[in-house]
Amino acid sequence: MSKPIVEVENLHKSYDGKEVVKGISFEVEDGEVFGILGPNGAGKTTTLETIEALRPIDKGTVIVNGVDVAKNPQKVKYMIGVQLQSTSFMDKVKLTELLEQQAAAYGEKIKPLDFLKDVDLTDRAGSYVEHLSGGQKQRFSIAAALVHQPKVFFMDEPTTGLDPQARRNLWDLVQRVSKRGITIILTTHYMEEAELLCDRVAIMDSGKIIALDTPKKLVKDLLSKGFKKKQEVQQASLEDVFIDLTGKELRD
Amino acid sequence: MKWIILIVVVVLARLLFGRIFKVSRSKRMENPSKPLTKPKMPQLYTVSTFAKISVKRYFRDKTAIFFTILFPLIFLFVFGSFSKGGNSISFHIGLINQSSSQFAKQFENQVKSNKKMFNIDKDVNNLDQAKDKMSRSEIDATLVLPPNFGDVKNGHPAGQAVIYYNPVNQQAAQTLQTVMQGQFEDINTKYVKVDKPFTVVGKSTSHQGLTSLDYTVSGLIGFSIIGLGIFGPVNYFPEMKKQGVLRRLHITPLRSWQFFISSVLSNAVIGLVSIAIMLIVASVAFNFHIIGNYFELGLFIIFGILTIFGIGLAIGGWAKNENQAAPLANIIVFPMLFLSGTFFPRYTMPDWLQHITAYLPLTPIIDGIRMIATEGKHLTDIGPQIGLTAIWAVIIYAIAFRVFRWE
Repeated sequence: MSKPIVEVENLHKSYDGKEVVKGISFEVEDGEVFGILGPNGAGKTTTLETIEALRPIDKGTVIVNGVDVAKNPQKVKYMIGVQLQSTSFMDKVKLTELLEQQAAAYGEKIKPLDFLKDVDLTDRAGSYVEHLSGGQKQRFSIAAALVHQPKVFFMDEPTTGLDPQARRNLWDLVQRVSKRGITIILTTHYMEEAELLCDRVAIMDSGKIIALDTPKKLVKDLLSKGFKKKQEVQQASLEDVFIDLTGKELRD
Repeated sequence: MKWIILIVVVVLARLLFGRIFKVSRSKRMENPSKPLTKPKMPQLYTVSTFAKISVKRYFRDKTAIFFTILFPLIFLFVFGSFSKGGNSISFHIGLINQSSSQFAKQFENQVKSNKKMFNIDKDVNNLDQAKDKMSRSEIDATLVLPPNFGDVKNGHPAGQAVIYYNPVNQQAAQTLQTVMQGQFEDINTKYVKVDKPFTVVGKSTSHQGLTSLDYTVSGLIGFSIIGLGIFGPVNYFPEMKKQGVLRRLHITPLRSWQFFISSVLSNAVIGLVSIAIMLIVASVAFNFHIIGNYFELGLFIIFGILTIFGIGLAIGGWAKNENQAAPLANIIVFPMLFLSGTFFPRYTMPDWLQHITAYLPLTPIIDGIRMIATEGKHLTDIGPQIGLTAIWAVIIYAIAFRVFRWE
């Protein structure tokens, strides 16, 4: 097995004396989709922000692609792409210009339309972000985060607030990005999303990792403990009904 | 002047009607080669791209255009019209002619036709009406030609006109008396030849003297620099923090100095455009003359914009939200707004206040602009102004860098 692309060792982080991340350790393999699951306030976002060099590390080490984040944050920034929780772009700036600007921040010059094509937004090239739908904003935000061709891509709750069609569309996009060999680390509240996308997941609660494995293995472990669902498992869910009735066609 | 108008028109057309040019551009882009190309000078490319896009963004923002370009223009019209008539003396008077003589009639017409100097109130027909109006300062004085005015005595017409005035308007009345004296003097010499051993004549010095319009225009340029450089970023930066725009930039390797330089650049471009528009309007509508060198003036204005923008950058960059930014901005801006010579020339202030206000950051900028534009001085002549501005620039940017926060 190759060397892990992200290594987190005994990471601690406090805000105003309150410890939010309490000594977690994990490794992410090159090219995998890694999920961090957990209820609100578990420390998922904080963990991501320290790896992204946005927050100083209190204790422990974080190494991205062989570079120590605490010692050389600037170098790490070139290797990572981040899709932010709130899609935050300047208003009154065209999509093409925003991509140009985003690339310029990395000292790169790009052809913005190529990147818009990747996320099916070519026909909105001259629009401003504030005029996009929620799903389009999310897709654009992914395009923007990938302009400099990062090695690791962070997504913080990418499908929160999207309708089922847009969510499926985004899952496709995530898988396409993953196929390009980019390592993806994402947080989510949706278990079916984690099950579908992630090669491995870490489950966090109160600042600690309480489980870390492939989704399949975690389910198997639970079953082997004699767990049984109260209700008989149905072959289809209400969401399946919804998609069957409304179709997979995107609504934006 | 012509080339400035041309440049401004081209820049505005390009910014406002960019859509027209877009069609041909997007066709070119549909044929991609390599997605990533390293520009020759990446640092420069980063800064120039950020500056270019924020200039474009600015000109799409109609509210911002109103406050930074139209607002100073409105002030220019208000203050400009005040100072327009400032050069000639004009009296608002009542005229009562009680005489029926030929001479009185002629004299009345002569006064009425001198519209430049006399603004005659047509509602005044008798002394009571006149007194009433004078007590309310609606007219400065009343000129009465008594019944015997202009009757022929000793072979020529003679008489004594009377100027009535309210003590409140004593000064105006006395000036009017002097003026009338002069007019009668001219008439007298026509009838009686008098030898005049001593005379006095007034001669204007050079044409470069300052009118109040000169002070107004340079003051308004200062006002415009403040509006753009302080109120702009103070509103916009906290907004960008709230939206997470700065956070997004913080994730990238973009350095704060790169962000600063690109902001300064875009602010300088926007500032130059708006000031150029103001100068054009001032010269077309109010006959304002720029005597000095345009290049030197532009250079000094850029320097001023840079310095003042640092204040906005410091406040906006430090503040977490607009509630923090607005009060601090007001505390800093208001003294400059009223004491640096934006609306009121500093020479009208008491000496002690002039000494203090000389050291406000905006004062040397306004003085320098006026000295180059209307006194025809060169950059080498305004060393003290440049020096003081430079000291402020260093202090301001040292603070701005220290307090800047991305989030």
